[in-house]
Amino acid sequence: MSKINITVEINGQKKSAEVEGRMLLVHFIRESAGLTGTHVGCDSTNCGACAVLLDGRAVKSCTVLAAQANGRKVVTVESLSDGGKLHPIQSAFLERHGLQCGYCTPGMLMSAYWLLSRNPSPTEEEIRKGIAGNLCRCTGYQGIVDSVKLAAERMKEAK
Amino acid sequence: MTSSQFVQLTEKETLIGRSVKRKEDNEKLVGKAVFGADVKFKNMLYAGIYRSPYAHAIIRKVDLSKALKMDGIIAGLKGSDMTALGYLKPLSPFPFQSRDPFRRGNPRIKFFDHYCLATDKVRYVGEPVAAIAGTDRYLVEDALEAIEAEFEPLEPVLDSEEALKKDSPLLYNDWGDNRALYFHVSGGDVDAAMKKADIIVKEKIYSGRFTGTPIEPRSVVADYDAPSNLLSVWDSTQIPHNIARLIQQTIDLPGMKARVFQSRVGGGFGQKWGFYPEEIIVPLLSIVSRRPVKWVETRSEHMVGTAHAREQVHEVEAGVMKDGRIVGIRDHIVANAGAAYPVGGLASIVTSAFFVPGAYKIQDYEADITAAATNKTPYGAHRGFGKAEPAYVIERLVDIIADRLSMDPSEIRFRNFIPPSEFPYVSATGPRYDSGNYPEALRQAMSLADYWGFRQKQKELREQGRYVGIGMALVVEPSSSTRMGSYNAGYYSVRIRMDPDARVFIFLSGGEEGQGHITTSSQIAGEILQVPFDDIHVVEGDTLACPVGSGSYSSRFSVVGTSGVFGAAGILRDKILAIAAALMKCSVEELDLASGKVFRKARPDDSLTMQQIAQAAYYEVFRLPEGMEPGLEMLYHYRDPNIQFQSDERGRVAMFSSFPYDAEIAITEVDINTGFVKIVKFVSVHDCGNMLNPMIVEGQHTGALAHGIGGALYEELAYDANGQPLNTTFKDYLLPTSMEVPEFVLSHLITPNPFTPGGYKGAGETGTIGPPPAISNSVEDALKPLGIKLRKTPLSPVYIKSLIMEKLGGKNV
Repeated sequence: MSKINITVEINGQKKSAEVEGRMLLVHFIRESAGLTGTHVGCDSTNCGACAVLLDGRAVKSCTVLAAQANGRKVVTVESLSDGGKLHPIQSAFLERHGLQCGYCTPGMLMSAYWLLSRNPSPTEEEIRKGIAGNLCRCTGYQGIVDSVKLAAERMKEAK
Repeated sequence: MTSSQFVQLTEKETLIGRSVKRKEDNEKLVGKAVFGADVKFKNMLYAGIYRSPYAHAIIRKVDLSKALKMDGIIAGLKGSDMTALGYLKPLSPFPFQSRDPFRRGNPRIKFFDHYCLATDKVRYVGEPVAAIAGTDRYLVEDALEAIEAEFEPLEPVLDSEEALKKDSPLLYNDWGDNRALYFHVSGGDVDAAMKKADIIVKEKIYSGRFTGTPIEPRSVVADYDAPSNLLSVWDSTQIPHNIARLIQQTIDLPGMKARVFQSRVGGGFGQKWGFYPEEIIVPLLSIVSRRPVKWVETRSEHMVGTAHAREQVHEVEAGVMKDGRIVGIRDHIVANAGAAYPVGGLASIVTSAFFVPGAYKIQDYEADITAAATNKTPYGAHRGFGKAEPAYVIERLVDIIADRLSMDPSEIRFRNFIPPSEFPYVSATGPRYDSGNYPEALRQAMSLADYWGFRQKQKELREQGRYVGIGMALVVEPSSSTRMGSYNAGYYSVRIRMDPDARVFIFLSGGEEGQGHITTSSQIAGEILQVPFDDIHVVEGDTLACPVGSGSYSSRFSVVGTSGVFGAAGILRDKILAIAAALMKCSVEELDLASGKVFRKARPDDSLTMQQIAQAAYYEVFRLPEGMEPGLEMLYHYRDPNIQFQSDERGRVAMFSSFPYDAEIAITEVDINTGFVKIVKFVSVHDCGNMLNPMIVEGQHTGALAHGIGGALYEELAYDANGQPLNTTFKDYLLPTSMEVPEFVLSHLITPNPFTPGGYKGAGETGTIGPPPAISNSVEDALKPLGIKLRKTPLSPVYIKSLIMEKLGGKNV
């Protein structure tokens, strides 16, 4: 299998590696960059546990090739909190019981982040649509919807 | 064990019963939590499994030679190695680890020596046939494709009723038939009850094949250290101690010890309760290669290689009086057990026979259940473990009876409920229902749903051509199960330590899969020991560090786990007070404990800090009372008082100890052009006894309801006529998303469990059970103008549309 050299900026740090053309971005993030906060829950772009931001847009990194991210910027869950301080979306998930097992959580957070970056005041319906590409088996989504609502309020206040 | 051994809580104590935010969330929010797939070691290999592409076939050839020569490939295993290895045994059936009592007993079980890799025959698509380990996961996938395997396909057996026919092909030739299990249970005199009944209502009711699908697939990492003969395994399991023992039984290397770590687990839902081939394959690869080996399941592997559940057919009959009283029930059940592999499904199937009477006072009851072996993925545990199926049957049957008698479904329920005054209530089959108030729960649900108001509105909507319905279910979820022949034997052990800085460490015998045990354990210990919540650290899921126990399943933590923590913290508190009394030269009765101090009740200024007491316990043992052991580390074993192992005079045993329940009402609307069901409103009045942390209870319950909606409307594991699974991804196996799950109307009724110190019952599963019957009853009501009868789940648009077309002559309306 032929290999290619790529450089991806992950959470502000450049990561270069020689990868196979078929390598998925999620494996590059988890294996090459060692950032295991991004999870894999399916092989078919359905569950959204692997969601990250690619040049600011939420993508499901299990269906993007690492090579496609060459020269681009990736943001993962690890960069959301600032030092020890949780991002308002993270603290809202903690306060509104937006997670149980926590496996879908990184993807949910990134989808919520992407949603709020486009729409700072979403309605409940818009929040539900915004996370419809992320599956959660634990919460029944109510806690997540409430968390995103609270995060939106907090982020508006902070501005 | 008497409750007087537990600390009596006073009003000022507030950690218990409060919606304390969860300690476990932070690491999960920042991406630091270590799940099985995140475990990584130097020199580690990745494993891949070659799985059967056929439902039923004889293995003619498995040749790994090409694969083993490929780049980066280090080791491989195939079926013929199973006996060649010498130290390997067939997988022990779980949880029936001792086979002999079951060969001729009740349940009567047939066993088969399954190895972790198929040896001569494959019996379901997805059965492991060979395994490869290599330095890179991509290279391993290439090598799997280079395996040369040949199969001679056999006729598959897929339908459970067909499987039991005399001329059916056999999965296990030496069995002589496909009956994997037979169990019969009876209470009272059903013949007499049926004779005196005014009418007999007979029905055949089918539950679809549906499973838990945690978002985290399974994973196993194994590292065998030959010099110490210690096998360390990181496993996404719900039952680490059981798995450690099962590995030792199966890999019979002299003196080998297995240590299992339950990593953070991304949801269990029963599917991680079983004992799976990979839990042997991966350790074997590590033993053979002498390197750490990691295997992570893909979703498409999960859908065929991890347990399925629920598929049962019930031919049930009820004897009913004209006034709606149900006097007797007889049920003939056939479960589609799949390949009857030892993943725990047989225990789940036996459970179904116990609970058909549900919330009703029906003492004349009998049932028999047969598990048919078929060429599908093995049946296993799934949230609602064997109880969801009978709950579906009885709650549908009650509505069918109401229809026959032209009575309201609520009226039949109120007439037959176990009266609140009769708890604890011993059911026809033996289990003792701890407490409850079913009529009140249903009344509250009807009020929240405005049941009678909706009935009025429904008339108007029907006149407008709308198909709207209302349906109810009151489901009981027997929880905290116990089973002899494994660690699941009715107890929970907790070790607790206070160190010289008065920091508290709690070692739980079970781990968790998202339920919040770290937080709830800290609430209890913080309250009893009066130390800050943040000074408590909970250790779980390591079989060497933690006391032995059976794990987390059957909603048992809130019942036996919390009781263990109450007990452990209680004996530690007793010791702290006894040491303080010696140091302060007074009696224990004169002392109390609050805010990190022990003080004299009469003179609160006369006090010792917890640190002073703890330091005396470790560093100044000469100051301790005569004969007292040093230190502040105690082990406590809680034994469940509501479990009855010994048969009573009628041969009944009681293996479930708490009985949470839920009254649910669903209002639905059916689009008769598409067959699509919309949930307009969903009400739930839930009783799990006292609530230790209401936020966590509501989270668990809401998730369970959403899970149940999946089984009611969308999720079914389908096969084609050749036994090929038709939905092995989340593209075609449809979990409810945020768009399908409604905002629930939730309320709690509290009847404390008299058998636990906290008054808690199980909390995480009841919600999964109610939606299939409540929504089915609602949809049947919506379609009443068309005279449509529903007889299975899920109520997919295709199924509903086909029923509509039967009635309306096949054209769209």
